[in-house]
Amino acid sequence: MVVDNVIWGAPASGVSALERELARLRRARSAHASEQGHTVARASVLNLVVFATREVHAKRAARTIADLSQRHPSRAIVVWVDRPGSTATDRLAMHCDLPRADGREQVSCEQILVRAPGDAGARLASAVIPLLLPDLPVFLWWTDTPPFDAPHFDAMLELADRFIIDSADFARPELSLKRVREVCARGSGRYGVTDFNWTRLTPWRDLVSAFFDVPAWRPYLDSITGVRVGFTVDADGREVHPSQALLLVGWLASRLGWLAAQSLAPSEAGGMLFSMTRGDGTRIPVRVRPRFERGLEEGDLSGLRIQATRDGKLAEFVVKRAAGNAHVTTSVIIDGSLVTERVMPLSAPRVGDLLGEELTIVASDHVYEDALAALVALS
Amino acid sequence: MTLTANPLRAGPRLSRIPEPSTLVIFGGSGDLSARKLMPALYNLALQRLLPPTFLVVGTARAQLADALFRDELHKAVSEFSRTKPINEEVWRSFADHVHYVSTGTSGGYGVLGDTLNRLEGELGMPGNRLFYLATPPSAYGPIVHGIGAHGLARTNGWSRVVVEKPFGNDLASAVDLSEKLHEVFREDQVFRIDHYLGKETVQNILVLRFANAIFEPLWTRQYVDHVQITVAETLGVEERAGYYDHAGASRDVVQNHLLQLMALVAMEPPIAFDANAVRDEKVKVLRAIRPIATDDVPNTTVRGQYAPGFIEGMAVRGYREEDDVAPNSTTETYVAMRLFIDNWRWEGTPFYLRTGKRMPKRSTEIAIQFRSAPHQVFSRESAAGLEPNTLVLRIQPDEGISLKFGAKVPVQGIRIRSVNMDFVYGASFMVDAPDAYETLILDALRGDATLFTRRDEVEQQWRLVDPIIDAWRAGQIDLPTYASGSWGPTEADLLIARDGRTWRQP
Repeated sequence: MVVDNVIWGAPASGVSALERELARLRRARSAHASEQGHTVARASVLNLVVFATREVHAKRAARTIADLSQRHPSRAIVVWVDRPGSTATDRLAMHCDLPRADGREQVSCEQILVRAPGDAGARLASAVIPLLLPDLPVFLWWTDTPPFDAPHFDAMLELADRFIIDSADFARPELSLKRVREVCARGSGRYGVTDFNWTRLTPWRDLVSAFFDVPAWRPYLDSITGVRVGFTVDADGREVHPSQALLLVGWLASRLGWLAAQSLAPSEAGGMLFSMTRGDGTRIPVRVRPRFERGLEEGDLSGLRIQATRDGKLAEFVVKRAAGNAHVTTSVIIDGSLVTERVMPLSAPRVGDLLGEELTIVASDHVYEDALAALVALS
Repeated sequence: MTLTANPLRAGPRLSRIPEPSTLVIFGGSGDLSARKLMPALYNLALQRLLPPTFLVVGTARAQLADALFRDELHKAVSEFSRTKPINEEVWRSFADHVHYVSTGTSGGYGVLGDTLNRLEGELGMPGNRLFYLATPPSAYGPIVHGIGAHGLARTNGWSRVVVEKPFGNDLASAVDLSEKLHEVFREDQVFRIDHYLGKETVQNILVLRFANAIFEPLWTRQYVDHVQITVAETLGVEERAGYYDHAGASRDVVQNHLLQLMALVAMEPPIAFDANAVRDEKVKVLRAIRPIATDDVPNTTVRGQYAPGFIEGMAVRGYREEDDVAPNSTTETYVAMRLFIDNWRWEGTPFYLRTGKRMPKRSTEIAIQFRSAPHQVFSRESAAGLEPNTLVLRIQPDEGISLKFGAKVPVQGIRIRSVNMDFVYGASFMVDAPDAYETLILDALRGDATLFTRRDEVEQQWRLVDPIIDAWRAGQIDLPTYASGSWGPTEADLLIARDGRTWRQP
C-alpha cells in the first residue's frame, strides 16, 4: 500500500534526514506564524508511540493526537506495520509532518510515520529508539489486540513507561485479558498498563464512590447484598463480551475485599450470573445483563444497581444512563422510598477524551491492576 | 462515630468530593452571587464535583419565592457561566435544591434556621453548613450576630464562614471584623477569600519553587540582585468608583494581592502543603518585611493618579473625570514601593512592587533578576548585548515562566546576546482552567484553607500598609499624575533609578 504524502508528510531517508526535515518544517511554521503576528511554541511533554496494523487505525490515531496537541504536546511516532505475511510493502520507510490541530497552532505537534513490512519484527524497536525525545515519558498505544507472543511486542514494551490498550476492540477478551494481566505483572516497577475500557469507567466509579462519601450511607458498603450491571448490545443481539461491566465488578471486588465464589457462567436470560463472597462470608449474587440501548457503543455500561441491607433497612443505589441522551440519573432508595435523585452530564467519550485522560497519568494505576486481577480471578 | 476513608475513592483518577453540605449565601440576590458564585456552583455540578446531597439557600432582605429566585439565577448563570449554553437538565436537577429565605423581617433568621433544619432533615444531612457572606462589609457584623443568636452554626456537622475582601480598611477595622467573626466562629472556621490565590498560576509559584531542586539554591540574597512584582491593569475604575475612591490602589491591590505574591515568592519552604504549614511560613516572611517609617515614605514609595490618555488606541478619561469620583479626589490609582525583608535569606535584597490602573497593558508578573557573572571573561565589546539572568513568572496573561540567559551569536568570533527561554504554561497543558471561585468554593466545602488568608496574615499586611497611607494622608507628599497608557509617573522611575536599576517592560 502506498503511503499518502498528503497525510503523512514527505518521506525521509533516515533518522538524521528526518530530524532535518522536522527542523525545516518548524522554521517554516514559525516564519509563517510571525507574519500573522503570533508565535508557535515548540513544547513537548511526552513521546507517544502508536502501533497499528491497519491504515484506518493509524490515521485515526494520528488525527486524535493532532487534536490533543494543544493539551498534550507530544512527539507522536505512528508505527504502521502490516500483518505478518502481507506483501503490501517490502521496506521500512519514514515520513514526518507538523499536523495542525483544528485551526489553532500555538504549539506544534511532531508526527512521524514509520511504515514497516509485516516481517520487520525485531528491527522495529531499533527504528523507533532514535526517534524518541530524550528525558520524556514514552506512552505506547496499541490499537489492536497485542501479539503477546511476538518478539517485537516485548521489544516495544521495553521502551514504554505506560502501555495503553482498548479491550473493547479485543476479539476474544476473555482470553486476552488474562495475557494483559500477565503483562501487568511483568511490568511492575517498569511500566504501567491501562485500558480505555477502564478509562470509560472513571465517571461511573466517581458516581458510585460519591454515594458512599455520604457518612450516613458509608456503612452500607460493608453490607452489600447484590449487584446488577447493565451493558449495551446492538439490536440484533449479537454476542458481546461484557468486559467493561466485569471490570467494574472487579473494581468493587478488589476495593471491598470480595472473592470469587464461583466462576463466570452465562445466564439463560443472556449475560452472566455468578456470585462472590464478602469478607464475612455472605454471598453476593452478581448479575451482568445485556440491554439494547440506542446511542451507546456496544459493551458500554447502561446502568448499575447496588443493593445493601443494614439494621433491617434495604438501601438501593442506582445509576441509570438515560437512553439516547448524554445524562445519567443517580438515585438512592431506602425501604422503597426515593431519598434523593440527581441528573448529571455523562456523554459517550470520544477516543480523544480517553487518550487525553490517560496521558495525564504517568505512574501506574494500581487500582486498575487490582481490578483486572479480580476480573481474571473470576474467569 | 468515626468513619474510615471511603475504600472506593482510591487511585489517581477520582477527585475528592466534599461531604454533603449546605451553602448559605447572604446577599443571595446580589451581584457577586449572580456573577461568580452561582456560575461557579453550576459548573461544579457539571463536572460532577458536588456531593450527592447538596443544598443552596440564598438569603437577602427582599421577599422572593423559591421559583422566582431560581429564575433569576437561571438568567444569571446563562449570562455569566464559563460554559455555554446551559445544560438544562443538569440545571433543573441542581436548581431543585436551591431555596430562598428572606431575612428582611425581624423573624428572618428564625425562619432561615427552621428552613435549614427542615431541608437537611428531609435529606438526612448532618448539617454541614458553609455561610458565604456575599454582602457589603458593613453587613458582616449583623449577619454574624444573627447566625450566632439563632444558633445556625450549631449543628451536628461542621460550620464555616467565607468572607470576601476587603477585610477591613485598616488594621483597627480588620481586627474589629475578625473579633466579630470570632463571636461565632473559631479562626479555623473562617475562610477569607483572596481570589488571586485561587488562580492556577499563583499556586504554580509554590510548585515551581518547592517541587524543583534547581531553583531554590539560587533563591537567596547571594544570587538574586532584586525582585520586581508588577500588577498592571488597563482598566480604569469602571463601575467600582464608589468603593475605589475610598480605597485606592494601596487598599485594593497592595495590601492583599501584591503582598501575597511577595510572600509566596519570598517565603521559606513549608513543611507540607497544608493550610497551617503554608500560612505559617507566609506570616513569618510578612513579619520580616521591614516596615516603612513615616520619614522614609517619600523616598521609598510613589503614588500616582491617572490623567487622560490612550489605551489601545482609544482616548480615555482621567481619574477625576470618571463618574462617581470627586473632581478633587486624591485617591491613588498607582503605587510603587521598595521593600526589604530582614531575614537570613533576603537581607539587603530590594523588592520593588508596583501596581496601577490604566497601564499600557494588562500584566501580572514576578521577575527575579540575578546578579551578573562575578568576573567578566569576555571582552566588554563582545558582551555588550548581555543582560543579567532573569527568571520571570508570568501570572497573567500567557501564564508561564521565562529564563533569560546569554548565548553566542552564531558567526565567527564571540558576540553575546541575551535570549529568552520560554515555558508557556498554557502551551504545555492547554486545559480550560477552572475559575478561581470554583477552586475556592470547593476548597472551602472540603475544609482546605491553604488558599485562604488567615487573620494574622491580614493584620500583618495592614501593619505594613497603614503607615504609608497615613503619611500620604498627612499631605506632605505629592500625588503626581501619569498619562493613561503610560507605565506610571516619572517619580516611580526615579525611585528605582536611585538604586541604579530600572523597571522592566512587562
